[in-house]
Amino acid sequence: MGFALWMMILYTGLMNWYLHDMEATILDLEVGDVQVHAADYRDDPSLHARIDDAESLLTELRGAGYRASSRLLAYGMAAAGETSAGVAFFGVDVARDAEVSLVHEHLLDGSWLDPSDAHGVVLGRRLARMLAAEIGAEIVVISQGSDGAMAADLYRVRGVLESIGAAVDRGGVFMTAEAFRELFVVPVGVHQIVVRRPEGSELDVAAEAVRAAAAGLDVRTWRDLMPTLASLLDSARGALVMMIVIVYVAIAVLILNAMLMSVFERIRELGVLKALGVGPGGILGLMFAEALIVTTIAIAVGVALGAPTLYYMATEGIELTSLTGMSIMGVAMSTVWHADMRASTFAVPIAVLVGIVGLAVIYPALKAAMIDPVRAIHHQ
Amino acid sequence: MEANPVVVDCADVTKVYRQGTQEVQALRGLSLQVTGAEFTAICGPSGSGKTTLLNLIGALDRPTSGTIHLEGHDLGAMGQRERSHLRRDRIGFVFQAYNLMPVLTAYENAEMVLALQGAPLEERRERVERLLKEVGLDGLEHRRPDELSGGQQQRVAIARAIASNPAVVLADEPTANLDSENATLLLDIMERQNRERRVTFLFSTHDPRVMERARRIIRVVDGRVETDEHRT
Repeated sequence: MGFALWMMILYTGLMNWYLHDMEATILDLEVGDVQVHAADYRDDPSLHARIDDAESLLTELRGAGYRASSRLLAYGMAAAGETSAGVAFFGVDVARDAEVSLVHEHLLDGSWLDPSDAHGVVLGRRLARMLAAEIGAEIVVISQGSDGAMAADLYRVRGVLESIGAAVDRGGVFMTAEAFRELFVVPVGVHQIVVRRPEGSELDVAAEAVRAAAAGLDVRTWRDLMPTLASLLDSARGALVMMIVIVYVAIAVLILNAMLMSVFERIRELGVLKALGVGPGGILGLMFAEALIVTTIAIAVGVALGAPTLYYMATEGIELTSLTGMSIMGVAMSTVWHADMRASTFAVPIAVLVGIVGLAVIYPALKAAMIDPVRAIHHQ
Repeated sequence: MEANPVVVDCADVTKVYRQGTQEVQALRGLSLQVTGAEFTAICGPSGSGKTTLLNLIGALDRPTSGTIHLEGHDLGAMGQRERSHLRRDRIGFVFQAYNLMPVLTAYENAEMVLALQGAPLEERRERVERLLKEVGLDGLEHRRPDELSGGQQQRVAIARAIASNPAVVLADEPTANLDSENATLLLDIMERQNRERRVTFLFSTHDPRVMERARRIIRVVDGRVETDEHRT
């Protein structure tokens, strides 16, 4: 039982971290909690579909306790040497973007954008590899500006990102908002506002608050923007619960069997106890007390084994470098699998174990309490 | 001299068991009385109903008909809880197979009924130590049953049975698993307890050694009392 609890604590910690990490990757590196676009942008992601008065909306959202930053988005091509690739351009407000996204912390090489370096760009990992563009390499970007003229310029690679998502990996080109505006001739407005809610607040509540502030604009939560991924995460959580249920049902059967064996092996003793004046309630109490003692020992063993293992997993983790660049539904997998170590990682498996033991012991305890002392005393 | 009170009163007791589809009449209208401080053996052939009678008197089972009173309490009219309390407080049991708790020491086994009664620790200690000394187990208090001989285990069982000053000690074939020496020693102890502390003993037995010592021999045949012999 203690071993099973250990496994459950470890499993819960690993799975919780995995799910949390996946969600954090989506929120911190991809879309944020809520995104705001011009009403027609998502149907037709054009340079012209902009939020014109972004600054007042950003100010209002920040005043309401949200972190928010704007982005400019466009598509085009990037070329280095004789290689070219279709790319997505992200023009970011370097200072404010750091409040809503952790992309700037996920650099494989080089450094993040610098407002003073107008021609420095940061590329996605696979794009950089495809273009054979190392730090300091020059790339040519080609697209169409909002004025209809060709937008082309020469940039220098100042950073390459780690794997953070399939789209960014394959074609992400990050530049400062100022560089973007100059290249694409977009003097005002933004294409996207990324909003992060305060810690602990509900996603739906945040979305409603943003909707109220962004009248006439398209406001969507990350679950709306990535419904398949959201449902995958929900399914994974469901699977985690199912696994826990299956393991605990197995433990319950084990406990039931152990308790029944302990009753059958001690029929004579139980009969003698009844003969000597212990009533059915006393026998019932005895069986529950035994289960309580066994469970307490199991909890001690489970926690004693689980705590250091979980601590090791939380601090060191499992190296998954062979999975570098792998993504699930477009979300990059971390290269180190850690475990979530918090009170609930222990409390939930322990609470479930106690509940299951309580249920599993009822039948053997009743059986013991109902033993006929005359037959039990002569039991061989 | 004041007459001893009636401790056990069985009146027209029948007990019918069902074995598969067959009914077995273990007792057929048996009546008897046992008074305080008796040293009585119930004998008879196998299947005559001796053990059934002890189970009924010990409130371990209920008669099919008839009444059994123990110190005036109608056992048939008592609920399970009351019967448990009666067994704990007023009846001592000695079993053929000793039936000590294997995980408890001799001391703890002897103390068990007193502990169940909630007797104070000091009183328990004093009484159990005295009893273990009286049954000749001084120095063996901390041994577990598997570290004791059969005779020693049965002496622990006697200490357990008499520790709570019961109205009657019911002993089912107490010497059946013992050699002559141990059986004699055990009978000496029981006889001394009966004589000095006026403990009432009621045995079921085949053993001629027990019958020799008994001051009353009730012979049960086919579920009825065939003879009831008082000895001086």
